[in-house]
Amino acid sequence: MFTDEKWSSSKNWFIAAVFWIIIGMSMGLLTATKQIWPELLNNRWTTYGHVRSAHVMLVIYAWLSMAYVGSMFYMIPKLAKTKVYSEKLGNFALVFYNIVILEGFFALLFGQTEVIEYGEFPLWVDVQLLVAIGLVAYNLFKTVGRRQEKMLYVSLWYFLGSLLWLPLTWIVGNFPAQWIPSGVQQGLMGWFLGHNAIGLWMTTVGVGQIYYLLPKLTGRPLYSHQLSMIGFWAIATFYVWNGPHHLMNGPIPGWISKAGVIPSIVLLIPVWAVLANFWGTMKGSWSQTRTSVPLRFTVAGTIFYLFACLQGPLQALPSVSSVIKFTHWTVGHAHMGPFGAFSFTSFAAIYYILPKIVGREMFSKRAMEAHFWFSTVGFLVFAFSLWIAGVVQGFAWIDGIPFLQTVLMMEPYVQGRAIGGTMMYVAQFFLAWNMYKTIKLAKLEKKQQAQQQAATA
Amino acid sequence: MERKPSAVLIVALILWTFGVAGTVILPLFDQEINSATASGELRNYPEDSAEARGREVYVQNGCQTCHTQFVRALPADTNQNLGPVSKGGDYKYDLPHLLGSNRTGPDLMWVGLKYNEDWQRQHLIDPQSTSPGTIMPSFDYLTNQELDDLVAYLMSLKPTEERLEEYKKEREEAKSMDHN
Repeated sequence: MFTDEKWSSSKNWFIAAVFWIIIGMSMGLLTATKQIWPELLNNRWTTYGHVRSAHVMLVIYAWLSMAYVGSMFYMIPKLAKTKVYSEKLGNFALVFYNIVILEGFFALLFGQTEVIEYGEFPLWVDVQLLVAIGLVAYNLFKTVGRRQEKMLYVSLWYFLGSLLWLPLTWIVGNFPAQWIPSGVQQGLMGWFLGHNAIGLWMTTVGVGQIYYLLPKLTGRPLYSHQLSMIGFWAIATFYVWNGPHHLMNGPIPGWISKAGVIPSIVLLIPVWAVLANFWGTMKGSWSQTRTSVPLRFTVAGTIFYLFACLQGPLQALPSVSSVIKFTHWTVGHAHMGPFGAFSFTSFAAIYYILPKIVGREMFSKRAMEAHFWFSTVGFLVFAFSLWIAGVVQGFAWIDGIPFLQTVLMMEPYVQGRAIGGTMMYVAQFFLAWNMYKTIKLAKLEKKQQAQQQAATA
Repeated sequence: MERKPSAVLIVALILWTFGVAGTVILPLFDQEINSATASGELRNYPEDSAEARGREVYVQNGCQTCHTQFVRALPADTNQNLGPVSKGGDYKYDLPHLLGSNRTGPDLMWVGLKYNEDWQRQHLIDPQSTSPGTIMPSFDYLTNQELDDLVAYLMSLKPTEERLEEYKKEREEAKSMDHN
């Protein structure tokens, strides 16, 4: 099982990731449906709170994180002009990581939770997950250590940073609650994890992926190395301060609020630097998005990244926050980065890398097209339903309309979200089926080739 | 630095540490969140009291995914009559914290002020009977003991008399200002 076949870690992490996107998103779809039919699958295990937590944890730490690790097991050795330090360890870490995720999933369904969003697994699962992440980071650091290439490409900066930040951030966020002085203090630590799981893992690996993919897919060099440095260090400097804005206008002292809000707004700088670089690289290549689905996924990802990063600083303004906080808007925004921006770039990474490591093109171009359009249109329907809902809801509360009435007002939007969500979900079956076919055929072709060679020999 | 991964990692670590110092370590020394208010003391439940067990039930069933416990000095909250604005010290004994991030259902910071025990129990068993059209699922699968404990916890979520008086006075002053 723990093979050391070349590129097997990358391939196996991708396969597991796509398995989990189906499970994770079915939890999401169930969450959305429960807001229409509350009694659907309503029992001690799959009650709304459990399913919603499981959805968040699975799409972040199972789907997206595994896809990221799969990408890094290919991109890091390529950038370092060497091979993976240990494919065996990579495959072992994968099996271990999946067991831990499975434990966490069942723990949540059985009602064990730490309550911390993006860190809901109970402590006994957290510790194991930390070890699993540590194994991956060790393997990849070792790979970089053995590099044959003197230049440290910008994607490597992002990957190295992320692999350092994720385990550290995980420790702070999951610090045993009994050892912390108060509820609000724990809230701040929880949101440190909540925001930095996004800022210093999802964003930084995702941006690293884009920096790798754009030049490869367009055949053009990166627009500006200088600009990529500015982007990297600005993210490293400011993102880490963002946690407190989640408790803005609330029971935290004014100075903590400012310490969280100001860096949130300053984040416009790295976002601008990163995007100017992306789109500068794209110059003259835009027409290629018509034919190349991976490039189209990447570019759509950068556009959603722009939207997410315009929304972020805007929402960090206390006046805007006072309307949309706690509403459906937040849910819409929370999907923009993880799904719109970074799942899209991970899809692109899979479509780019998988053919290279199995030695055959993706089985179906039409399935890739369907995957793209269902994901994109579905997400737009989903997100716009939630944003509009959030603004309507926010102003209804301000107008003093009784709460129950505001819930009833949300019905059409909640239905719109479920329809968009269904499309997003269906899209992933095109990915899974295409991957399955590609890998199966690649194996078959290899076997036939070997037979032919044996016959002619 | 463009050739040294270790240098990148060290600077990345330092910048990360600054963020932790500012948003996690410094708040440890802030009295505003680290000393309990009188209303916060009410949430210091004795171990194995009905309220403490009820809080467990609340967490285990994920009530915090739909309900916040977080009142802000903003029109969205004051116009919904959520009760006194919450302070850091109100949560001194909240472990784990239940501040929440989404109001799929209403805020529960001071829900103990709003309904009686019978209503709470009925609402948990058959939400439609007390709140027609609500999207709260029924919690009829809870045992009687769990329901009793959960109701006890919900009923305990209220401010001290003084805090409530203060709040009412503020509200009246604000109203008379509006009329002028």
